[in-house]
Amino acid sequence: MIHLLKTSFHEGLLNIREKLGSFLVTLLMVSLSFMVFDIFLMVSWNVGTVLSDEQESVGIEIFLREDVTEIGAVNLADLISVMEGVRSVYYVSSLEAEAVFRADLPEQADLLILLGPQFHLPPSIQISLHPDCRTSEKVSGLARTVSGMDGVEDVVYGQEYLPGLTRAVDMMGKLVVLAGLVLAISLSLIVANTVRLAVAKRALTVEIMSIVGAPGWFVRMPFLGEGLLTGITGSAGSLFLTGIISSILSSSIPHDFLPGRWILLVLLLGASSGAAGSWMGMRSGIPKPRS
Amino acid sequence: MLITFQNVSRYYNDWPALENIDLTVESGEFLVLSGPSGAGKTTLFRLIWMGDFPTSGVVEVSGYRSDRIRKGDLSFLRRKLGIVFQDFRLLSDRTVFDNVALPLQVAGASPRAVRKRVFSLLAEMELNHRRLSYPHELSGGEQQRVAIARAMVAHPAILLADEPTGNLDPEVSKHVIELLLEINRTGTAIILATHDPRQIPAGTAKYLYLDRGHLADPVSWDGYNQL
Repeated sequence: MIHLLKTSFHEGLLNIREKLGSFLVTLLMVSLSFMVFDIFLMVSWNVGTVLSDEQESVGIEIFLREDVTEIGAVNLADLISVMEGVRSVYYVSSLEAEAVFRADLPEQADLLILLGPQFHLPPSIQISLHPDCRTSEKVSGLARTVSGMDGVEDVVYGQEYLPGLTRAVDMMGKLVVLAGLVLAISLSLIVANTVRLAVAKRALTVEIMSIVGAPGWFVRMPFLGEGLLTGITGSAGSLFLTGIISSILSSSIPHDFLPGRWILLVLLLGASSGAAGSWMGMRSGIPKPRS
Repeated sequence: MLITFQNVSRYYNDWPALENIDLTVESGEFLVLSGPSGAGKTTLFRLIWMGDFPTSGVVEVSGYRSDRIRKGDLSFLRRKLGIVFQDFRLLSDRTVFDNVALPLQVAGASPRAVRKRVFSLLAEMELNHRRLSYPHELSGGEQQRVAIARAMVAHPAILLADEPTGNLDPEVSKHVIELLLEINRTGTAIILATHDPRQIPAGTAKYLYLDRGHLADPVSWDGYNQL
């Protein structure tokens, strides 16, 4: 078996050596196509990071009526803390709210003095949510529930921007998947065409190998290997080129390069597109026994 | 029986390439198959190495039946066969040594075993001095000897020779036929397709005549003498 694998590997090298020029052209095409995808991924990653940071701060603030006592507010907070999607709750008393106001807006601190000693900022309960519950639908659902609770004056949760933010994050994810899919299909077709040409060029070799008793996988493996190599090398080359572009642009446009798992994803996409392309190329290129 | 054809027909779009063929080949037999172009000789060969399957009937070769063989078993069947073509079909990007070694390599033989067997066979066939040459550097006769060496290197039970002398001059053809007879004397069954069955000395082979997909009746046709 080892000898067979070695021979098959040797056949694969012969394949590539025989048409090194077209192999390199294909590799360049794959690299450039992947580079467009990598840049799109990088932009998506950076925009996605900003959107995620925004989404991270999504929460609900419940303002309580003035007549709610501290014990009542704590009981209400306990009730809310066990609701689905709630990660934590924090009770902010009137005094704490005023302290925060003074700390956050020191230039407007006099406003509280002008309003007189009878005026107090309302106590509130701040709700932090689980990450998967920060969508517009879930937040508004939870806000509706708590707004009907006894002692609640008003509920604020970013009604103005949350639907748009949720849509943007959702769309970004879908765009990345769609772009990946389109790229995978187009690269598979490029590789399929290259492998089909390779099979046609080596038609006699394929026929003779089959006639002298080579197993099917042995005949196919060199072409499959070529597709895999094209996909992986092409995607790795594109990452390298994108890395260069990223470092050139980093001084004028601060941004992050792709994280490790996305790099792995690009390489996997390259490998799978290459393998799928080889399979398609071989299906139409390698003759089967007629029946 | 090494090969059995049971009422085999092969049609291509209603055109009968072979029709109602019954045939047996025994171990060590030399079968000469003649007939005009388009008679179905090559189709018959393809059915033996199962590069093609019958429309009806069953072909059985070394225990593998055409109606039951699995895709994965085709390679095992073909390792029991050696095939020689009129146009040699040598791989132009490989040396004589590599061409002859191919059947052993694809069967997973160790490099040492491959070297031993190929050197020995090339020496037997007086091709050792040409082992590093490429096919285009050889004469037609030498190329056919290389093709025969490739077909014989894995010790096949059956050698199929499809018009092996078709592209060779008479003198070289004679040498190739002598080589095939020599191979047959070692116990390998041979099926030789040829336009000219008189190349084979009378009494050394069984003769069959194919015409438009039909085998001539052996009772009404005694083969050799009627040619």
